[in-house]
Amino acid sequence: MRNENEQIASKPGKPTSHQLPHVVLTGISKRYGGVTALDTVDFACSRGSIHAVLGENGAGKSTLIKIMSGVVQPDAGQMSIAGQPVVFPNPASANAAGVICIFQELSLMPDLTVADNISIADPPRRFGLIDSRAQRRRAEEVLASIGCEDVNPLSRIRDLPLSRRQMVEIGKALTKNPSVLILDEATSALTAADVEKVFDILHRLRDQGLSILTISHRMHEIEAIADMCSVFRNGRHIETFVEGTRTNTEIVQMMIGREITAHFPPKHERPPDDPSAAPVLETRGLNWEGRLTDINLTVRRGEIVGLGGLDGQGQKELLLGLAGVLKSVSGEILINGKKTSVSSPEAAKAEGAEIALIPEDRKTEGLMLGMSIADNLTAASLGRYSRFQILDSAAVTEAVRSGIERMRIKVGSPEDPVSTLSGGNQQKVVIAKWLLTEPKIILLNDPTRGIDVGTKQEIYRLLRELADNGASILFYSTDYEELIGCCDRVDVMYDGRIVRELVGDEINEHEIIASALNIEGGEVPDFLAGSDGQGGAV
Amino acid sequence: MSSLESTETKRFGISITPENKPIVIASGFVLVILAIGTGYTLATQGTATLLSPTYLLQQLQVGSFLGIVAAGMMLVILLGHIDLSVPWTVAASAMMATAVGGPAAIPVGLTVGLTVGLVNGFGVAYLRIPSMIFTLGVNAVMRGLMVAHTGGFAPQTAATDLMQWLAVGKVLGIPVAILVWAAVSVGMTVLLSRSAVGKSIYMIGNREAAAYLAGIPTRRVIVAAFALCGMASGLAGTLLAGYSTKAYQGMGDAYLLPAIAAVVIGGTHILGGRGRYLGTVVGVILVVLLNSVLSIMQLPEAGRQVIYGCVIILMLLVYGRGQKVTQ
Repeated sequence: MRNENEQIASKPGKPTSHQLPHVVLTGISKRYGGVTALDTVDFACSRGSIHAVLGENGAGKSTLIKIMSGVVQPDAGQMSIAGQPVVFPNPASANAAGVICIFQELSLMPDLTVADNISIADPPRRFGLIDSRAQRRRAEEVLASIGCEDVNPLSRIRDLPLSRRQMVEIGKALTKNPSVLILDEATSALTAADVEKVFDILHRLRDQGLSILTISHRMHEIEAIADMCSVFRNGRHIETFVEGTRTNTEIVQMMIGREITAHFPPKHERPPDDPSAAPVLETRGLNWEGRLTDINLTVRRGEIVGLGGLDGQGQKELLLGLAGVLKSVSGEILINGKKTSVSSPEAAKAEGAEIALIPEDRKTEGLMLGMSIADNLTAASLGRYSRFQILDSAAVTEAVRSGIERMRIKVGSPEDPVSTLSGGNQQKVVIAKWLLTEPKIILLNDPTRGIDVGTKQEIYRLLRELADNGASILFYSTDYEELIGCCDRVDVMYDGRIVRELVGDEINEHEIIASALNIEGGEVPDFLAGSDGQGGAV
Repeated sequence: MSSLESTETKRFGISITPENKPIVIASGFVLVILAIGTGYTLATQGTATLLSPTYLLQQLQVGSFLGIVAAGMMLVILLGHIDLSVPWTVAASAMMATAVGGPAAIPVGLTVGLTVGLVNGFGVAYLRIPSMIFTLGVNAVMRGLMVAHTGGFAPQTAATDLMQWLAVGKVLGIPVAILVWAAVSVGMTVLLSRSAVGKSIYMIGNREAAAYLAGIPTRRVIVAAFALCGMASGLAGTLLAGYSTKAYQGMGDAYLLPAIAAVVIGGTHILGGRGRYLGTVVGVILVVLLNSVLSIMQLPEAGRQVIYGCVIILMLLVYGRGQKVTQ
């Protein structure tokens, strides 16, 4: 396959810099409300190369590919393909220009067949009606071309395992004849054998002259496949280099950068294993549907324990499991040393557990947006103000007042709809709602996402204050700075397991990122050796 | 900004919030209906019959049966669900109440309604069957059971005296049925605005996931709302049997859609989470008066149906437009 005259085909090969870039972005900026997702980014990728985009959560990678594939429009900047300026008002126009994106969230219709899904955008027609035979033939061809002959084109997507679905997704993208193929964590659901297959396909496509852009958090996969790497941080394009010319340590350093923007309340010096502080919350061997594996953690009185790791490594599931939302979690949860079964959020807040979960998405899980601030504030603690089911309105008013005061929520009237508040104040309402239940254990699922710096600082102060008053806090954050600044200990998760516990001075950017990528901290030279089975390699 | 608005409106004594707006519009429309009807009677008969207390009380009496059904329906709609089993819950309660007779008649009627409501609630909350389908099925089952019970003929049993008194009796000139409706209304108001269950109903209708995560026992609340709705239908059936002194097949058929219409006209969001009980009362009055005035004006049945339907659609259009602008 690899001709000598195509030096691009050999890996690591020569840099392709002398080649004309195929897709060029200049000065692209994108803001979401007050958050700058991309800040005047220049970026280019060439034909016949596989280009990996690296960066922390929120670095702007997803926004970049969304702009390239027409899902969102940039606020400023231009894009050109093969020298021609292009504007993509929607994904269809990007597809027409040959830019095809395989998104992280699968875009297949579960109740349609494989063949239907592959041809969904442009089914073959006969007399104006869908030609199902031609559609099946097309599906067979494309599945064979990616080594998935075992998938029956007539089976429903719902009946396929996740890794097969992902392969169908790739096949679907290929039927659109892409010149630029973008994969957003497209290998995240694949088995090791499938990853091999996908890499073979990608290499073949690259040799055919496609420009391939991939986002992955798996360093060993990037090493195995990428020709070029670009690192993004805080919406800026930091550097592009030929893969193999930087060490992992350097790459991690680029991803972290050096920007300390937040101030955190002081932590208390405490002996790491203070025997007087018995664990308030302890789990033993929690498992859940393959998404959580053998979770053992402890949170002591007055302690803030962080959950780290990349997005989607089981942190949310762990918090939901502790709050009683997930069914059939196996393993033991001990509260104050007593085995406790928490079967629902209602049971979680009852006496004996007294757990509060600040959920991830305040708009859909934390708040009833159509209701008033007062109603939202008292939602979790209604039982406290009612006698024989009838609410004591004086007690309710007092609770609302104290909630607003405690969290310094800026409100006109408590009767205003909660949707009129800013994001930060909405989040304060969610937190105040739970504080009114006087919880002993507080689980937070990324509580500062998308809120302003000032409110963040208030939340940090509040967490420390709650811990000092005896609460036990388990705090998941996608922002490692918060974990460093707030937490007494950090458990880093990878692929549904806790792979590392960081204590004291170990809680630093480098250790957190290295553990999150599941590579050894420190010098990280040669982890590739055992890269076949991902996860649980510690 | 919003605080400015609320002080502004408080100064004038009326606050027209999005919540209250449908109620204001519906009340205005009630007056329009009365005015048109009065204009018609003045022109044709030279009298203002529609404004006489007798006529109005009579309309309210007729409206109380619908009002009680609508009260229960409102609870279910606030959850974002619907109860289509109303027609045969009404009929079954009436038939069982008259069949049992004696002092047990009314409790039996209520129990039948409560039982059907519990079944509905169980199906929706625990079996997770969409309420539209489940209650439709329950309605069919109830009809089958009642046909089996009566052999397909009109039951020969009669309503007890107490049932008749509750439906057509008068206290100080006021029909007792209206008082029953008023009592139900007081209960509803307390439930919806003063009780934890009421708040929970609004929360679930707004966003069930958030309510669940806040530790609200969502399933039990759903069962409770359906149970109360069933009981309201049972009460209405028992009263209706008293009104017509007997139970008969299909006696509840005329209550399902008007009840839903009344609730929605009163400003309750059909997808749940929003609405005030006062609105439902106004909605019931509107539906009853509209029917009555249209029949006074001796429009042919076909024309009445068309106008009735158009009015409902028109009112919802007005609400919908207003809401889009305010958001």
